[in-house]
Amino acid sequence: MRHVYAIVTLLALAGIFSDHITSPSIGRAVSPQDFAGACAPCGAPCPSKK
Amino acid sequence: MTATTSEPAGQTAKAKRDWLFVAVAVLATLLITGLVLIDQQPWSAALVIVGFGLGAAFFKAEFSFTASWRRFLLKGEAGGLLAILLMIALLAVAVVPVAATLPSFGGSIAPLGVSLVVGAFVFGIGMQLGNGCGSGTLYTVGGGSGRMLFTLAFFIVGSVLGSLSLPAFLNMGGIDPVLASDYLGPWGGLAATLVSIGIVALIVQQIAIRRGASATPRKSFLVGAVVIAALMIGAFIAGGHPWSVTFGYTVWGGKLAMLAGFDISQAEFWQWPGPKHALTDSVLGDTASLTDLGMIFGAMGAAAFSKPFAPGPWPPLKSLLAASIGGLLMGWGARLGFGCNIGAFVGGVASGSVHGWIWFAAALGGCTVGIKLRPWFGLSRD
Repeated sequence: MRHVYAIVTLLALAGIFSDHITSPSIGRAVSPQDFAGACAPCGAPCPSKK
Repeated sequence: MTATTSEPAGQTAKAKRDWLFVAVAVLATLLITGLVLIDQQPWSAALVIVGFGLGAAFFKAEFSFTASWRRFLLKGEAGGLLAILLMIALLAVAVVPVAATLPSFGGSIAPLGVSLVVGAFVFGIGMQLGNGCGSGTLYTVGGGSGRMLFTLAFFIVGSVLGSLSLPAFLNMGGIDPVLASDYLGPWGGLAATLVSIGIVALIVQQIAIRRGASATPRKSFLVGAVVIAALMIGAFIAGGHPWSVTFGYTVWGGKLAMLAGFDISQAEFWQWPGPKHALTDSVLGDTASLTDLGMIFGAMGAAAFSKPFAPGPWPPLKSLLAASIGGLLMGWGARLGFGCNIGAFVGGVASGSVHGWIWFAAALGGCTVGIKLRPWFGLSRD
């Protein structure tokens, strides 16, 4: 199981690194709740706005 | 007498430390922290560090929502649940007034409707089969449980499936979030939140007494609750919202789905501004992902520092099947129910949002079903 963990960890770190350097970085980390009209932690709109 | 038993306890513990995985945990945390600091994002780095602390604290205190709820439902033991309620009360003292008065901060809110109830109920079933909730999955994966690797993988898959289902469930109707501070102001909202937590704690305690069970939390659990509450306040300050776990899984799954050729970007969920931004931006631009990653490596560091890391064999196939089904149900349920124990229950109640209590009641109902299903997969009921 240690070997599996080592491989999964390496793959995950490689994925994070490549995703980070190939994605646009626009500043402070955000949550979907920070966007206008968001009504839940996932950014779903409010029923009254639908 | 063997050499091991004749050694002082401190030396034995040192000999058991798994320095390779301690180094992996520390280096991985430094890498992620370094990447966000290069982008001049100290708050992002703070979220990773707080996540690391949360992982270590959860692991050391064995802070388990799943087991606490199961013990309460099966035996009436209320210690774990009462410690969780204490943690929520401590968090609420910071979240309710700050979120109600400072525009750069917000509470954890969610609409009330079919989606919330169905999602939380299904999550509760998955919690008992997966043997961990959102945070539990993170710290046990980090702690070296091979079984929970399956739970996490299927949690991520279920979360993406949930993202595709959520709009249809929202169309079934619902009402906007109900927040105590909107009606009673910051301090009135806090008072109402603390009173509601107190009432539930009293009910839980009375149930324990009537069933002749213990209502006293273990000392380590109580200390864990206080430390975790302090760290969650740190996550709130650094992220601007109460800590949430499962949106990170959805982002990871969404990105992996795109990588595998499944273009989910046109689905309604992924057209909402928040998810759309998260799908295209760096994974390290998402607050939930930062804390989640820190938590995994914090638990890994704490586990490897105390014993050989992940030494055991793989669990039986039936147990892995339960882990996979549990993960899938939790992922789907978390998206429909607007989070897990952390994001929906703890964050919701600590924000004074009514959805947190509805989520708790529905998930508790799901847990009773999940507990009945556990023996089918060779898992003990308790």
